[in-house]
Amino acid sequence: MIKVKHVSHHFEMGKKGRKTVLPVLHDLSFEIHKGEIVAIAGKSGSGKSTLLNLISGFIRPVEGEIWIEGTKVTDLNESQFADFRLEHIGFIFQNFQLIPSMTAYENIELPLILKGLDVKARKKKTEETLEKVGLGQFGDHYPSELSGGQQQRVSIARALVSNPPLILADEPTGSLDSDTESELLDFIKQLNEELGITFLIITHDEEVASIGNRTIVVKDGQMVQGG
Amino acid sequence: MTLKDQFRFVRQNMKKNKLRIFMTVLATAIGCTFLIVLASVGFGLHQSIVKETLADRVVTEISVHSAPDDEGNYSRPGEEDIRYLESLEGVKAVTRRQNLMQAPKFSFKDYETEQQATIAHMPSEVKAGFELSKGELPSEENEIIVGYHFQEQLRKKSAETESQQENQPNKAEHYEGSLIGKSIDMTVKKVIDGEEKTRTIPLIISGIGEAPSREWMKDQNIYISESILKQVESFTNTPKGMIDPEGQKHNLEKDFSGYDEVKVYTESLEDVKPVTDQIEREGYSTYSVLKEMDQINMIFTIMKAGLILIGTIAVLIASIGIYNTMTMAVTERAPDIGIMKAIGANPKTIKRIFLLESSYIGLIGAVVGTILAYVISAIVNFGLPLIIESAFQEQLPKSLKFSSIPLSLVLIAVGICLLVTIISGVRPAKRATKIDILKAMRREV
Repeated sequence: MIKVKHVSHHFEMGKKGRKTVLPVLHDLSFEIHKGEIVAIAGKSGSGKSTLLNLISGFIRPVEGEIWIEGTKVTDLNESQFADFRLEHIGFIFQNFQLIPSMTAYENIELPLILKGLDVKARKKKTEETLEKVGLGQFGDHYPSELSGGQQQRVSIARALVSNPPLILADEPTGSLDSDTESELLDFIKQLNEELGITFLIITHDEEVASIGNRTIVVKDGQMVQGG
Repeated sequence: MTLKDQFRFVRQNMKKNKLRIFMTVLATAIGCTFLIVLASVGFGLHQSIVKETLADRVVTEISVHSAPDDEGNYSRPGEEDIRYLESLEGVKAVTRRQNLMQAPKFSFKDYETEQQATIAHMPSEVKAGFELSKGELPSEENEIIVGYHFQEQLRKKSAETESQQENQPNKAEHYEGSLIGKSIDMTVKKVIDGEEKTRTIPLIISGIGEAPSREWMKDQNIYISESILKQVESFTNTPKGMIDPEGQKHNLEKDFSGYDEVKVYTESLEDVKPVTDQIEREGYSTYSVLKEMDQINMIFTIMKAGLILIGTIAVLIASIGIYNTMTMAVTERAPDIGIMKAIGANPKTIKRIFLLESSYIGLIGAVVGTILAYVISAIVNFGLPLIIESAFQEQLPKSLKFSSIPLSLVLIAVGICLLVTIISGVRPAKRATKIDILKAMRREV
């Protein structure tokens, strides 16, 4: 499903002419198989979020290759990668990243609009997904009118609605209380079992990491466990 | 993403800041109105002048003024020239007229008038479109045709002075009966050694010309034949009946031969240009309404282009507002753009949405501006003549139109407006596509 081959990355910091190089990842290689739930764990600043951003295509690695579903995504340009994300990857973010001026329904519908689906198909799919995440009666609510747990469910519904084979989750429970956190983790497990969706979860929380089939631990930009 | 959904997005986004969008649309509309109204003055005046120029004019008529002789000297067109002009392809008729070089006195019963007489070649006049309102064409040498308004000039001998002073023909003073078939005397004069001598030539009115197409035009001409001219010339012993008290010897052939007025009439409007070109190539100088129209059109085309250019500056100023609005919209929506890009929105789609928004503002502005321009144009056309007439006490021609907005002007203005607004939206739209996903999602943009 995902192949990371000898990926290294660094950031250039400071003003032009006086830039310093900050190494973040060093020669990272691992593989994630279809249907797995894999947690990438590590302390703050270990480089785990950078790794997720590289796999998402939000930033490009300085060295190495990344393959997703047989496509060498590191060779794709920005436009091609956007189309690839729309077709193959769903996202769950720590602070939900919902568009505040859109209702829950409209936020979930957004990937389908971007795909160019007709209104009828969109309506059916969106309503089904809203039901699936248990927010059937909250479709007309704006994100500000929903609790943190409900917002995260909307975020999950948006990731699910276009049936992607892979969902990338960046600290998905980071903004939730412990009850809502365990509810969400159960839901992720359920989705994995029922739909066979591959999950790659970035977390620093051991409990979250425990739901995975395996955990890759990153420390100081290097993989120390789980490859 | 379908175009329909892109439009839905644009409308949703525009609703978020109605006041700002309203002000931007207003600025664009005012710019567009200014452009249309300004240029409409050029179009209106052009239309009025063309209308004025073409009124009562025969568009297939070409006046031929002079022809060169073998030595390159210019003289009046003569018989040979007439034959050449008649031989040209596309020529329907060539009329030629000479003027009697004195104004004879015409007397009929107790009525009389002094009028200029014209020697016309009637067959060619008829071929060119001359028509009679009464009577028939001359068949005898002493028969003449008079203009439609000639009768108004025939006034009672005693009343003439008073009437002339008033310069208004009094109905009761001029002859009211029929003139057809009536005998009228033409008195010509000559001066020999300071002594004036006259001769009366009896003529018969065989026909009256048709009324001119406009009420204010007067046709008081008298059309006499070549043989009558010869009788006058034999009496005065001068060319064309000229009164020459000095008794100078004139070179008849050189100074007075030929026609005073030669006009070529073409079969159709399309023939005017080729026939004019051909005549001019032979060295004649010509004049036609079409030639005059070419010059008028050229001057007004330059004027209209200049006015459109000045008007475009107003639209350009409005485009600064659109640029500002779009840049603010991109900045405000950066987090949303970041989210959309993260979940798979193509940069091209983002760019298209912003370009659509700026074009939408431009289109609404152009439509509102056009409606506003039509309203202003109607007010100007109605109100300005009233103001001018009351302020300067001057009567303006009825056909004068200050402002005219043809469809072509609307299309040009809307086109300029759309082009300028789209261009002003390009940079903000490009900026939207360059937004960094991570920075936008962290609200750092």
